[in-house]
Amino acid sequence: MATTETRGAIRIEDVVKIYDPDGAAVMAVDHCSLDIAAGEICMIVGPSGCGKTTLLNAIAGFHEITSGRITLDGEVLCSTDRPKSRPGSDRVVVFQNGALFPWKTNLDNVAFGPIMQGKLSKAEAREKALSMMADAGLNGVEHNYPGEVSSGVRRRIEIVRALMNDPKVLLLDEPYRALDSLTKSVMHEALLEIYYRNKVTIFFITHDLEEAIFLGHKVAIMTSRPCKPKKVLTVDIPHPRDYGVLTSKRFRELIEETNEAVHEEAVKAFQSGEKEG
Amino acid sequence: MPQQDKQPISPDMMIGILKATMPFQVVSEPLLRRIAAIGWKTTFRAGDTLYEAGGPADDLFIVVAGKIDHELQPGVHARRPMKTLVEGDVFGWAALLEKVPNRLAKAVCTEDALVIRINGEELLKVLESDPNAGDVVMSRFATMITRDYTVPDLIAQLRGIHRKLHARDPQGMNVTLYRVSRWLKSPKPYLMLIGLSIFFGGWYLFVEVLRLPRFREMPGITTVVAEWMSPNPTYGLSIYTGEYYQHILVSIWRVTQAFFLATALGVPLGLFLGWSRKFKDLVFPVFETLRPIPILAWVPIAIVMFVATESAVIFLTFLASFFATALNTMLGVESIDESYVRAAYCLGSNERQVFLHVIVPGSLPFIFTGLQISVGVAWFSLVAAEMVSGQYGLGYVINTSYTTVKYPTIIIGMITLGAVGYVTSAMVRVAGDYMMQWRLRELAMGAN
Ligand SMILES: Nc1ncnc2c1ncn2[C@@H]1O[C@H](COP(=O)(O)OP(=O)(O)OP(=O)(O)O)[C@@H](O)[C@H]1O
Ligand SMILES: [Mg+2]
Repeated sequence: MATTETRGAIRIEDVVKIYDPDGAAVMAVDHCSLDIAAGEICMIVGPSGCGKTTLLNAIAGFHEITSGRITLDGEVLCSTDRPKSRPGSDRVVVFQNGALFPWKTNLDNVAFGPIMQGKLSKAEAREKALSMMADAGLNGVEHNYPGEVSSGVRRRIEIVRALMNDPKVLLLDEPYRALDSLTKSVMHEALLEIYYRNKVTIFFITHDLEEAIFLGHKVAIMTSRPCKPKKVLTVDIPHPRDYGVLTSKRFRELIEETNEAVHEEAVKAFQSGEKEG
Repeated sequence: MPQQDKQPISPDMMIGILKATMPFQVVSEPLLRRIAAIGWKTTFRAGDTLYEAGGPADDLFIVVAGKIDHELQPGVHARRPMKTLVEGDVFGWAALLEKVPNRLAKAVCTEDALVIRINGEELLKVLESDPNAGDVVMSRFATMITRDYTVPDLIAQLRGIHRKLHARDPQGMNVTLYRVSRWLKSPKPYLMLIGLSIFFGGWYLFVEVLRLPRFREMPGITTVVAEWMSPNPTYGLSIYTGEYYQHILVSIWRVTQAFFLATALGVPLGLFLGWSRKFKDLVFPVFETLRPIPILAWVPIAIVMFVATESAVIFLTFLASFFATALNTMLGVESIDESYVRAAYCLGSNERQVFLHVIVPGSLPFIFTGLQISVGVAWFSLVAAEMVSGQYGLGYVINTSYTTVKYPTIIIGMITLGAVGYVTSAMVRVAGDYMMQWRLRELAMGAN
C-alpha cells in the first residue's frame, strides 16, 4: 500500500468542547493541544468519563467543537469558525462497542466503504475484501454474520473494514475493552501486524496503561474531566515489537514512570464522580 | 512411535493455546471448551520420532514448546517440504484429510518439546456438534495447509463436516427450515397441543357435562362440530357449503388489501418519522391524536366518505394496521444505535445510502413486529367493519347469525376467524425470518 510520510499528521490546537453550553454546560475538553506525527501510534489514556471519546468524535466529525482547531496534514478539519468537520473515509472510527452492521455478512461489511464511495464495483470490493480478510487471518468467517463470530474476531473485522478505505488515520475507541486478557494479547499482535503492513496513523483510546505502552510510539495521559494531556510520554522501545517487550526492563520502567500520573487522575475522577453522584 | 505418556491437560491452559493457533483462533469459548476436553499433552525428547510417513493418521498435534522438524514426503508435491515447527504450529493434519488415512510426513523432535494431541475422529465429532463453527475451523485448516505447508489444493481436501441442514447458506429457505426442525424438537408444539386440548376440553366440560347456568345458551362443542362437519347443516353453513368458503375468501381478500395498503403507507411514513426530526414534529401530533380513536368511531365517517361500501370496509380495516405499522417502524428507526449511522458516514456513505443501508435494515426487526401486530388488528377491525356493511365475510356471518339466532354458526364463524388470523400472522413471521436471516442465526447462536 502506497503511503508517504506526510499522510495522517494530526494537530490538535487548543480545543475546547462544552456540551450543552446554554444549559448544564459540561466542559468535556479544555484547551487541549496534541501533535500526532504521520504514521504514529498515539495512545490516549485517561480515566472514565474524562472526555476521550469527545475528543475522538471531534476529529471524526461527529460533533462540533466549541473553540480551537484540528488539522489533518495541514488541512483544517474543524475550527472555531467551522466547528464541525465532515466525517469521511480518511478518518475511520472503530467504535467502543463495535459497529459492524449485524444485517450484513462480515464480507459485505468489509466491502461496504469502497462500494458506498463508488470507488470499486461490488464484485471488485468483495474481491479486495476477501484478500484483506485472508491477510488478516480472517478467512472462514466471510459469509457469517457478525453476530456469529466471537467479539475478538468482530473487532479485527472492523479494523479491516476501516483499512479497506486506505484511511490516513484510524481512530480506535477502546476497541479491546470487553475482551479477556488472552484474546487481548492476540489482538495486540494482530493489530501491530496490520500496522506494520499499512502504516496508518493510529489514535487509540484505552484505559489500560500496559496496552498503551506496549502499542504506542507516544502515550498521552489525560487529566480527569475536563480533558487535556497531563503528560505525554515517548515510548523509546523500538518497533516492531512483540510480546517479549512486556517482560523487558525498559517496559517496566516506563510503566512505573507513568503509573502514578494515571492513578492520580483516576482518583480525581473518582472523587469528582462521588461529588456529582 | 512414542504413544506412551498421554497426560491430561487443564482446560484453561488448552484454551489459551488453541486461541493462539490459526485454525482455532476464531472459535467461540464454549466450543473451545469442548475441544479442550478431548486434548492430551505429551512430551518428546530431542531425537524422538513422532511419526513416519505412511503411518496411521490418528492424532492432530499442536506445539506448545520446543521444536519439531516436519518433512513432507515427495508425493505430496509441497513447494517447501521442510518446515520447522514451533510454538503455536499445528501439524498432523493428515488426520483430517478426506482421501488420506496415512501420514504424509515425518515428524522428528529436534528440541525437547511439549505438544498437545487431539484425536482427529473425536475432533470432527465435536465440530459436527456445531456445524457453522466447524466449517469455519475446517476452512481455516485448509488455508493453513495450503499456505503454511505449501501443499497443493488437490491434496488438502479436508473431510466435510456432516450436517443435517445447511444452515450456513446465506440464501434460500434453509434457515427457516432449520428453525422449523428445531421447533419440532422443542417442547413448544406439544405444549401448544396440550393447551388447545385443555381449552376445548374445558368448553366441553362446562357446557355439556357440568351445564353451568352461565353457558346455558352457548352451543356445546359437539353441536358446533357436528354442524360444522355436516353435509346438511341445520343453519346453512358448514365445510360442505360453498358459501362458507366464499365468506372466508372475501374476508381474506379484504384483510390482504388493507394489510398491504397499511404496509405500503405505514412503513415509509414510520421511516421518515424516525429519520427526520422536523417531519416528526410536523406529523406526529396529528398521528397521535388520530391513533387512539376506536374503529367503531370511524364508521360513520367511513360511510359518508366512501360511496362504495366495499371501500368503506377496507378503509376501516386498514386504519388500525396503518397506525401500528407506522408507529413500530418509527420506533425501529429510533432504536438503531447511533454508532451504525456514524460508521456508515465514516465509511463514506451519503445520506441516501445511510437511509438505505442502515436505517431500513436496522429497523426491520421492529417493522416486522409492527406487521405482525398489523395483521392481527386488521382481523380485529375487519369484524367491526363487516358488521357495518357488506354481504359476505366472517364478521358478517357472526353478526347476522346473532340477529337470526343461529348460535352454532356464530361459533363456527369465530373459530374460523381465529384460525385464519393465526395462519396469516404466522405467514408474516415466516416472511420476517426469511428477510432477517442474520437475526435468526444470532438467535440460533444464543440458543446453543
Ligand atoms: N452529549 C452529551 N451531553 C452532555 N454531556 C456529555 C455528552 N456526552 C458526553 N458527556 C459528558 O462528557 C464527559 C466526557 O465524556 P466522554 O464520553 O468523552 O468520556 P470518555 O473519556 O470517553 O469516557 P469512557 O472512558 O467512559 O468512555 C462525561 O462526563 C460525559 O458525561
Ligand atoms: Mg469513551
